[in-house]
Amino acid sequence: MTALEFHGVRVRLGRGRQAKEIVRGVDLEVPSGTVVGLVGESGCGKSTLARSAVGLVPLAAGHVVPGRRRAVQLVFQDPYSSLDPRMTVGAAITEALPRRRLFARPSARPPGAAAAEVARFLDLVGLEAAHAQRLPGHLSGGQRQRVALARALAARPEVVIADEITSALDVSVQGMVLNLVKDIQRELGLTLLFISHNLAVVRYVSDRVAVMSEGRVVEEGPVDEVMGSPRDPYTRTLLESVPRLR
Amino acid sequence: MRRLRTPLGFAAVASLAFLLFMVVLGPIIWVGEAVRTDTMALNQGPSAEHLVGTDGLGRDVLARVMVASRLTVGLALLATAIAVGGGLVIGGLPAVLGRRAGRLISGFIGLVVAFPGLLIALVLAVVLGSGGTSAALAIGLASVPAFARLTQTLAASVAGRDFVAAARVLGVGRVRMLFRHILPNIGEPLIVQATLGAGGALLAFAALSFLGLGVQAPDYDWGLLLNEGLNRVYLNPAAALAPGAAVALAGLAFNVLGEFAAQVFGGRATAAPAAGRSARPAPGDALTVEDLRVAYGDAEPVKGVSFSLEPGERVGLVGESGSGKSLTALAVAGLIEPPGVVHGTISSGETAMVFQDPMTSLNPALRVGTQLAEVARVHGRLSRKAAWERAVTRLTDVHIAAAARVVRQYPHELSGGMRQRAMIAMGLMGSPRVIIADEPTTALDVTVQKQILDLLREVSDRSGAAILLISHDLAVVGQLCSRVLVMYAGVIVEDLTVERLRAGPAHPYTRALLASVPDMAADRSQPLATIPGRMPSPAERLPGCAFAPRCPLADSRCHASPPPLENGVRCWHPVAGESVTVAEKGSEG
Repeated sequence: MTALEFHGVRVRLGRGRQAKEIVRGVDLEVPSGTVVGLVGESGCGKSTLARSAVGLVPLAAGHVVPGRRRAVQLVFQDPYSSLDPRMTVGAAITEALPRRRLFARPSARPPGAAAAEVARFLDLVGLEAAHAQRLPGHLSGGQRQRVALARALAARPEVVIADEITSALDVSVQGMVLNLVKDIQRELGLTLLFISHNLAVVRYVSDRVAVMSEGRVVEEGPVDEVMGSPRDPYTRTLLESVPRLR
Repeated sequence: MRRLRTPLGFAAVASLAFLLFMVVLGPIIWVGEAVRTDTMALNQGPSAEHLVGTDGLGRDVLARVMVASRLTVGLALLATAIAVGGGLVIGGLPAVLGRRAGRLISGFIGLVVAFPGLLIALVLAVVLGSGGTSAALAIGLASVPAFARLTQTLAASVAGRDFVAAARVLGVGRVRMLFRHILPNIGEPLIVQATLGAGGALLAFAALSFLGLGVQAPDYDWGLLLNEGLNRVYLNPAAALAPGAAVALAGLAFNVLGEFAAQVFGGRATAAPAAGRSARPAPGDALTVEDLRVAYGDAEPVKGVSFSLEPGERVGLVGESGSGKSLTALAVAGLIEPPGVVHGTISSGETAMVFQDPMTSLNPALRVGTQLAEVARVHGRLSRKAAWERAVTRLTDVHIAAAARVVRQYPHELSGGMRQRAMIAMGLMGSPRVIIADEPTTALDVTVQKQILDLLREVSDRSGAAILLISHDLAVVGQLCSRVLVMYAGVIVEDLTVERLRAGPAHPYTRALLASVPDMAADRSQPLATIPGRMPSPAERLPGCAFAPRCPLADSRCHASPPPLENGVRCWHPVAGESVTVAEKGSEG
């Protein structure tokens, strides 16, 4: 497992005079086999940072390790739009499976091998092999997010970035997905960057946490330290605003 | 199959049968009649033997119209195929090529679309020479730009969606992306447009042949027959009317088929008429709701809800999606639209509504001040100036600095928190006795969420208005409210104080909901509690408690008879008041 590293990353969006620097020089490391949580409010640049790591937005400066395609996979916030409505679950996961040889077509695989792989990944996220035949439209939000997770894992990534993966889900489903993410991370020793605006969720999942504000990481450290005794005033404001029942 | 029983479905089937009959059987049945010359009956009018008369060589005109249908419809379909094929290729190119080449092609499409299609077809028909196939080519090519533009626009909208981004992250190539992900998702509108386009091509063809640019004798299509018939229109009008009617009928048939395709693919459901009249809110103090039911046909998402709010009381209405909480709020505000039907009695004082997304609930085309002032002008009958002044005062009341400037701004110029403040100020333009806030902070950041919750508390303290806060988040409700109503599958399962919620609720669903959400004190080594199974759908009617299939405490009685709401709990086995323990969390997970 490789660590995920951001070195002096800057991202500028828009063209000409309307161009705006969304990510303003981020240095961040996700040590291999750990979960780093990234919190921040909407517009702080955390989603843009995630998209820059997988090549969906170009870097204006800096670099990301690993830089190879497919080595970093992204799981999106909205499971209703991140799955092709016309593709069965099985086809979506098959598409993500690595090609055996450089120019081998998917059909060049031994028959049944892909189906077995799909079943294995569905099992990993707690779905049945029969789900491979279904279209996303016949699945619940939680099931869709499991499929999206299986698809990302099927690409054999070195790092997975989860961008607000529970925000579109109901609270009882959110719990299931969080349990699953923790289990899989422990089982596979996955390197995971877990992005959320929900501090309690990040605290529950992560080993370390980074706080982002206006395009910069303002504080980074072990979860208990950052959430227990925050050094940055912005982190403090953020923590004080969290609604608590107890 | 159900759609075929609608009038449009019936018309579509009849049209298809009509077209197939003409195209497949027309030439077989009437070909003999159509070519037999009868020198004894040249240029005759309608008679028993020749229903619409004969032409200059004594051939039966009706038979010729029937035989011509295969060539006419065939060429129209050929032209459509050329248009769709060319449109798909050109319109799909921007998605496959790089950014710069893509922009060049989009620009070209935009340029060509600006020319009228029929004009291009005429020019091309002259250039390509007369004859059926070249006319088909001319009409087909002339319709390519329109299809290319449609393809390009649809493809661009699909290309912006997350599943395309996900495929890019997986390393899917551009060509495969077009064929696997983009084209299948834009197929339906293209099929609809192609069917409608075939009708247009048919008409264009008739026009070209009529002008002598299309099919040439000895072949003949409807346009040519129309031309021949029109020469003798004063002697035998039927000979011109018959091919004209054929063109009109076939064009209509294509259009009906296209409409039907649009309805089937587009899911343009025919709205079911509402069964009966909805109950409307009656004036009263704060808010009282008795046996509220909301039905959509057979489904009943709200199954008998009763509660009341005292003046100044702040109550939270909590539930997951599908619990009926938002429909309850809409019914209370009198905002349920047909086909939804509301039953029960609602009495409420003046109501203000705050929605989840102030970007969509404020009119983007009007200044903030105009929208606020409208409330006072309509309800308070204030003058324009007085209403405007009140708008400024109310915006100041919700702690918007420089309110005099903000009233002149448009909603998009404000931040999310400012918009939500403006929305609350709009509610305060009258003198509301109840403020219904439906997920007012879900779209906002935590720091802004706290400010908005504080503002709502301040507003209710100052004005004495009751607040009904709809939320999926128990912690948010705990911040603002003193009492909580928990909804599940259309009924209130628990009515409890926030203190009781903190100490440990009595209903197993409320307890499970509380345990499934990680808070800032959650034990990170323990899995979160989960609720197995799913909520019953609004159409399902369970004989017993709706939560029984998912409840760890359920027994045969729970499955057999619905529990009443007693002491604030709708449960046969309420849990005695103690806090939700970690052990309970672990065992349920």
